[in-house]
Order: sequence, then structure tokens, then C-alpha cells
Amino acid sequence: MGSAYAKAVVDGILTGGVYALMAAGLTLIFGVMDIINIAQGIMVILGAYLSYSLSVHFGMDLFATLIITIPALFVVGVAVEWFFMRRLADRDRTAMSILVTYAVAILIEGGITQVYGVSYLQLHASYVDTSVHIFGFYLPYIYLYGFALAIVLLGALYAVLYLTRFGQSLRAALQDRRAAELIGIDVDRVRTITFGIGIAVTAAGGMVFGATNSFNPNSGYDLISRLLTIVILGGLGSIGGALVAALFMLVLEDVVAVAWSPVWSTLVFFAVLVVVLTVRPEGLFGRAATRAQ
Amino acid sequence: MILKSVVEKGVGKLTGMRTKTNGARGLLLAMVVAAALVAGAWTSGSRAATTCIKGSGKTITIGASLSLSGDFSADGQAFKRGYQLWVNNVNAHGGLLGCKVALDIVSDASSPAQVATNYQKLISSDHVDLVFGPFSSLLTVPSAKIANRFGYAMIEGAGGAPAVFATGLHNIFDVSLIIKNQLITSAKFFAGLPKSLRPKTAAYPTSNDPFTEPQLPVARAIMEKAGIKTVYANVFPAETTDYTPIASAVATTNADVVMLGSVDVPTVSAFIQAFAQQHYNPKAFIATAGPDQGADFLKAVGSNAEGVMVPNGWYYGYANAQSRAMVKAYVKQFGGRPADINADVAEGYAVGQVAQAAVNATHSLDQKKIISYLHSGITLQSVQGAVKFDSLGENVAAKAFTFQWQNSKPVQILPPGDPNSRKPEFPKRAWK
Amino acid sequence: MIPSRTALGVLGGLVALAILVGFPLAFSNPTTTTIAFFVLIFMIATTAWNAFSGLSGYIALGHAVFFGSGAYALAIGAEKLHLSGGWSVFALVPVSGVVAGVIAVPFGLVALRTRRHTFVVITIAIFFIFQLLAFNLGITGGSSGLQTPTPLWTAVGYNQRFYYVAAAILVLTVAMACGIRYSRFGLQLLAIRDDEDRARGLGVRTRRVKLLAFVASAIPTGMAGGVYAYFLGQIFPQFAFDPLFDISIALMAFFGGLGTLTGPLLGALVLESLQQEFTLNFSAGSLYLIVYGALFLVVILLLPRGVVPTLSSLAPRVREQIRRRAEVPPPPDQARDVA
Repeated sequence: MGSAYAKAVVDGILTGGVYALMAAGLTLIFGVMDIINIAQGIMVILGAYLSYSLSVHFGMDLFATLIITIPALFVVGVAVEWFFMRRLADRDRTAMSILVTYAVAILIEGGITQVYGVSYLQLHASYVDTSVHIFGFYLPYIYLYGFALAIVLLGALYAVLYLTRFGQSLRAALQDRRAAELIGIDVDRVRTITFGIGIAVTAAGGMVFGATNSFNPNSGYDLISRLLTIVILGGLGSIGGALVAALFMLVLEDVVAVAWSPVWSTLVFFAVLVVVLTVRPEGLFGRAATRAQ
Repeated sequence: MILKSVVEKGVGKLTGMRTKTNGARGLLLAMVVAAALVAGAWTSGSRAATTCIKGSGKTITIGASLSLSGDFSADGQAFKRGYQLWVNNVNAHGGLLGCKVALDIVSDASSPAQVATNYQKLISSDHVDLVFGPFSSLLTVPSAKIANRFGYAMIEGAGGAPAVFATGLHNIFDVSLIIKNQLITSAKFFAGLPKSLRPKTAAYPTSNDPFTEPQLPVARAIMEKAGIKTVYANVFPAETTDYTPIASAVATTNADVVMLGSVDVPTVSAFIQAFAQQHYNPKAFIATAGPDQGADFLKAVGSNAEGVMVPNGWYYGYANAQSRAMVKAYVKQFGGRPADINADVAEGYAVGQVAQAAVNATHSLDQKKIISYLHSGITLQSVQGAVKFDSLGENVAAKAFTFQWQNSKPVQILPPGDPNSRKPEFPKRAWK
Repeated sequence: MIPSRTALGVLGGLVALAILVGFPLAFSNPTTTTIAFFVLIFMIATTAWNAFSGLSGYIALGHAVFFGSGAYALAIGAEKLHLSGGWSVFALVPVSGVVAGVIAVPFGLVALRTRRHTFVVITIAIFFIFQLLAFNLGITGGSSGLQTPTPLWTAVGYNQRFYYVAAAILVLTVAMACGIRYSRFGLQLLAIRDDEDRARGLGVRTRRVKLLAFVASAIPTGMAGGVYAYFLGQIFPQFAFDPLFDISIALMAFFGGLGTLTGPLLGALVLESLQQEFTLNFSAGSLYLIVYGALFLVVILLLPRGVVPTLSSLAPRVREQIRRRAEVPPPPDQARDVA
């Protein structure tokens, strides 16, 4: 039985990496712009579909497709922010963002359905079905690669945040919008680029998700609630927090599935989440709330 | 507040004020919308009833609500094709009672509130002559209750969970195989193998769904009686997105047989993928739904479809004259290979055939006569085989076949006595 | 002379009431009454939600907990009491409300300790906990759900009975929302929305106020859930506890105008009937989603604050115009002719 638990932990860590990839963009967007991006789920799926088309029609390797899908989704993110998010007044911004991003999500879902239809697809590659045998475990290659990709991309995001001037502006805007404006930071531009980056990273999450799950245009909805909880648990704006929260969530669920039953695993996770949040509302790595801006 | 603004806007207009402000646009929009709604309410009023008199040129309309978007969209689309094929066939052979048949299909986006409105509209506004059922047991009950209130028969092919028949309604007729009994044939097969070949252990993971959950205990009872030990019997949530941990848990048990309670292709393909990754090769793998969806299934799992079993009342190679004709017509209209055809298509087609038989036998579109005819114990023929309804509306004449994918084609393997059953591949080939 | 705000408000209310009562008599087509029924259900839920979230600023995305609990309460009650279909089942509707209210107490005590984004996510988390409980507990029937008794009324007038019960609940809900909005309690909620810490500093008992409003918003939602379950005839966990429900009522309140009284009513009316009509008539094609989403976006961007606040901002401007015109001096010619 011990090996079953160990396997559960390992599975949780590997899958958690995938979720961290999908949630990283969301935490940035949420943290910097006060926007609850309901469309994050469908963006993941969009990334999966784009990778699918590239791999099937041009024979590209799945990871190679990212060279195209990441910039493509960056453009999509910037466009969405420019056309829709800008219009939102600062007051009620969070509330209205739910409306707008929901509408955007429906629109994108419709577009995807129109182009691809409703059948389930999955990304295929030689490393999707194979695994490596380590310490008595079979670790699927795709999850290992996905986890590595998550570390690389999250690390890159982290570097951008802490080692570049843009990152500095972003963190300033995150901390105190008005003060950032006062010292000359073009907060609008920071916002647009942040949104773009947030969606661009999601392309990678989408590719790995698409390789490990069957998906169709409707799959985005199941994802968004999980991503939101990961982001809040980890703390808004914290990349590292998103990673830790994702790992924690998946490991906890997998262990409970073995210890008790899969039907209770999600419930236990949410119960733990509620407990954690009431004790520490800002999440594991979030900044304690200052007076509302 | 609205009234006040309307009054003041009216006053504003009278005094010549320009109305190009943001708020005025909003008011205008709201008024347009309200007007559209009222207009919609008016126009969705009565359309003249169309009862068919031979040679009159009238059309018989058949209404149905299908899930063309949302969770059940893949199946809903397949059902639509099934209904359409049947309509084309009927019209090509002189129509029903001499009149042409037309379909009136609305989408319910897999939502029960929408399905209620849809059937209400079909019956009370469009005055359809017949109604066919929606896809999924989850949507059948509200629909059937509405149909019953207006005296309509509800012939359907995809709402067979026990919950549906617990309503006690007399107007429901499910033309497809009784769901609870789907796995009996395969369970008996495993249980009946000689001791040396018989599997020792079995796992029964199932999705939390009224379609799958009733099936497994029935199969399990048969297998346990034959000494096949149950090593896993957990239920997993229907909305699971990540099946790896569950599949891993099953893989750890190393069961000889896996009977998976699934409702769709993604579930099955996720399990297969995880099993392949874990290098876990059960001797047999049977799933309650998913592998019956033809091309959709093959595309998802590729060569790993080999050896996967599925119970069903139909497959493309069914040795039934009507079925062969339907398959031919399908390929002609929609393309693809016969083996690609989703089993839902046959279910939809069979619904049409049963309705056709009832209408022809009673020479009328009278719902009462149709209902009592279908409850009279008569046996009808459809692309899925024999159809005979018990007092609850279940099809007791449906035979439970089991199919297995062999060389990228579904092949009938059970029941063993059936002349069309080929040899099962047991143990099945290992995953790639 | 322009009548006072209150007088016009009362007049408007009476007109609305007349329309509410007379609608099914004028439009008796069952399709229309079905849609009207669903509109009423959403009006109730949205008004109740807005009374809490709109006034306090705490966006709750878990009210489906109350809706679903009310639905299951009615179904379980009808089963245990062996009720057969008919008017007697409606007696369980207040029970649905009470059950929802009772659930709101621990729910609120836990969730209201957090703020803003955390609050939103906690409500979502508790929602999922309830949905999963509904899936897994025996008493809720698990994945097979529960059925409600089938009334033996004939098709004629069937929907109307449900309509009027929902209408009655709506009137009570609006009265409650009105009472909250125009009372000191409402002011306290608004103070919390604007600046909670300052409100507390000024002596508002924020915890009690928030919890009271939360529970008050739960009760009508629960009742709506009960009536809904009875109307449909069967409930399943994923439909009684439906995340889309949470989003929908939030959308309707935003669309109409958060925090206003008529906003939720307008939002529910427009969005629900539009959505049903749209799906009914146009969804057989796959362009449906694209058009729906695009339409939504266009509307939201035109009215970023919601319909009613935008209209209300129009009113002072119109008044100003009228006043200015009334003060225009007479043309000079007339004055000169006198001499």
C-alpha cells in the first residue's frame, strides 16, 4: 500500500506542474489588473487546438509548436485587453471583468467549435504514451517533459519579474497602482503587456494539457474553477505560490483518492482550501491585504 | 425607476433634446429588446396544426430537442444524423401516411431548463405531430413529463437509466437496450471460461453517473459468483479532468479484467493512456460507452483500440437488412467508413422506425392510439434488432451484444451462440 | 411640475405589478409562460443576490448552494412525506427557504471572514463542496438525482400555477430588497462596500450586518430552487448546483446595474428571455455561440455600468434641460411692441 501512496505523490507532483503552467498566467493577470479572467480555461483549450493544428498539418513536434503558439496567444491576449478590458471603469472593475471575460470565453468557444467541431481530440507524440522506469515507478515522459517545461517557463517569468525593468514596473503596479502612476510608470501599457504574457504562458499549459487529456471546445469550463482556486491559494501575483498551490492541490487529491475514494478527493481539497483561506486570506505566498485602493 | 426614465426621455424628445448619450443608447437598446421579446411572444403563438391527409401536400413534422452544443454535443450531433437518415429514407419511400416528413430540431445546450422550454415550444407553438426524445437520461424526465401532460408519446433511444423508468409515466418508449443489463453477456463470458483460462481478479471503476453506475453491480455479482475476486470498485466524479491517479490505482491492483463505467470517449482514452504509461496490461478491458462511437473513439486512442470491448445493441456490421441499408445510406450522405459510424446514429434511426411502425399500424397520428399500440406487446423490427416494450417502456427484446475492436474495426464477439459472433481476442494484445 | 421620485416610484411599482399579474392572462401560450416562469425564477435569485452582493460589494459566486439546497429540500421533503402532486407540494417551498437560510449561517460565518478575491473563491469552493456532497450522499439520490411528484393538473393552466407562485415569491423578495435598500441596514451595507474598515471604525457592526444580509439573500434563493425543482420534475446534482447559475445571476445583476432595485429585474428579464429565445430559435446552427458571445460583448461595452445606473444618470441631465428651457426669456419683439 505504501507504494500506492508514493505513486500518488509522484503523480500529483507531475500533474501539478501542468496545472501550475495553466495557472501562472492567471495569477499575474489577477494580481496586477484585478481582473478575474474567466476566459483562462478556454485560452488553455485554444492553445491546445493551435498545437493540434500545427502538429497534425505541419508535422511539427508538440514542443516545437510552442514557438508559434506562445507568440500567437500573446497577440490574442493583447488584443483582448486592448479591445475589451480597457473600457472597464476602475470602479467595479473586478465585477465587470467577470462579465467581459465570460463573453470573450463564449466567443472563443464558438469560434473553436465553428472551426474544429465538437469531437474530442488529443495531441499525440511518441513520448505521450511511453514512460521511463525509475525506482519501480513508470513515469510517463510527457509529464516529465511537461514538468520541466513548467519549471523553465515559470523560472523565465520569475526572471522577467525580478530582473528586468518591465518586471519592476509590473511589481510596482501590483503593489500600488496610484503610486506607480505617480512615479511615471505607464500603467496602461504594463497592463496590456501583462495580460499578453499571462495568456502567452497559457499556450504552454494548453499544449501539455492537450497531450494528457482529451479535449473539446467545452473542456474549458471544468478547468477555470480549479485554476482560480490554485491562484487564490497560492496568493495573487505570486508565481512561486501558483506552483506550490498547484502541487499541493494535486498531491492532496491523489493521496485522498488512494486513502479514501476518488469521489471525496476534490471535496477534501476544497475543504482544506476553505480552512487555509480563513486562517490566511491572502493565500500561502500572497501579500497581506492593505486598505483597499 | 424605468417608468420615470421613459417618461423623462419622452419629455426630452418633445423638447428637442438630442439623444446621443450613453444612457439613451442603453434605454433604446432595452426598448428594442423588450419589443423583440413581445414580438417573439406573439409570433411564437399558434401555428396551424398539421394532421396529414393523404395527398393533401401537408407535411408531418416531428419535433426533437438535441444537445448540439455543450456536454453531450458529440452524441447529440450523431443522433441528429440518425433522425435525418431515417427521414430521408421515409420520404424516399412515399412518406408517412402519404405525406412528407420534416424534422423540427432545437438545441438544448445540454440544459434541463432549456429542454423543458424546447419541448413546450415544439408541442404548444410548433404543434408538431410527433416528438422524439432528447439525448441522455439526464434530460429525458423533464421532457417526458411535458410530453405526457399533452398526451404525446415520447419515443427515445438514449434515456434508459433506471431513474427514467421510475417516473411511472406510460408515454416513454426507449428503443435501445436496457442499460442495467448491458454488461451481463460479457460478465457471463468471463464467468463461463474454463478454470484454467478464467480471470482471477477484476476491477470495476465507474463514473458517478446514472447511466454507468447501475451496470457494474449486476456484472460484478455474476463474476464474483464464479470466483473472480473484486480488487477495485471505486466511483470517480463525473467531472474528473485528470484520470491519472485513478487509473494508476487500478493499475496497481494488476486486475485481470477491467470493467470501466464510462460515458464518453475522453474517459476511456484517458484510462487507456494511463494504463499504457504504467505498462499495465489487463487480459480484458471493457468500457460501457466510448468504444461504441466509431471514428471518434479510433481517433482518440489510435492503435490502442485493439482488443477493447464494449456492450451495445448495434454495430456497423450488424447482420440485419435494415441496418445494412442504413449504413450504406450513411456513407453515401456523410462519407467515411462504415466502421466510423457512431452507435448513436442507429439509436436515432431506430426511434424513427418505431414511430413509423406505430403510425402506419394505427393509420393515424393519434397519440393515444400510438401509445396503446406500442404497449400492446407487439414486436417491431429496427436497425438495432427486435423492439418490444414492457409496461414501463423498456425494450425487453433487445439483445445485448458485445463488440471488440479488432484491426481497427468493431467486431461482434458475444453472445457466443450467435451465428455472427466471431472469436474474442482474449487475452487482448498489449498496449503500445 | 415633475412628480416626486417616490410618487413615480410607487406608480412604476403598481404598473409593474399589474403587468406581472396580467402577463399570463394576455400571453397564455405555454411556451411563453414557461419562459416567463424561468425569468421569474431568475428575477428572484438575482434580486436576492443583489441585495447582498450589490449592496455590500462582496461578490458571492456560490449562491447556487442555496438554490440547490432548496431544490433538494423540496424533493426530499416530498418523498419523505409521500406527497402526491398538487398544491400541497407548494407548502414545502417555505421549508426550502428556511433550509437555505439555515445553511447560510455557517457558510456566512466561514466565508465572510475573508474579503474581495478570497471571498469570491471561498464561495466557489463551498459551492463545489455542496455539489460533491449531492453527488455522493445517499439521501440526495447520488448521481441519479431525485424526482418531485407529478401534479395531475391538465395542460391548460399548468404553467400558470407555477408562474403565480413564483410571482408571489418575487413580490416578497422585491419588498425585502426594497426594505433593505431604503433602511439604515442598507446604508450600513453601502458603508461596508465603500470602506469596510472605516465603517467599523464608525460603529457599524460589520460582521453582524454582513451575515444578516447574507442569510436574507439565501432564503428567497432557496425558495426559488424549490419551485424550480417541482416545475422540472427531476433534479440532478450538477443541475441543482450549477456553476453557470452563479455566473448567470451575477451577470444579470451587473447588466441591470449592481446595487439598484430594478436592475436585477431588468437584467433577469432581458438576459434569461433572450437566452432562451435565442437557443430556441437559432441554436441549431453552430454560429450560435459566436453570435451570443459577440452580442454579449457589444451590450456590456455599451453599458459598462449596467442599464439602470446609466438611465438614472440620464435623468438629472433631462431635468436640467427642461428647467433651462422653462427659464428662457420671452422674445425681444413682444416687449418692444408695447411702447
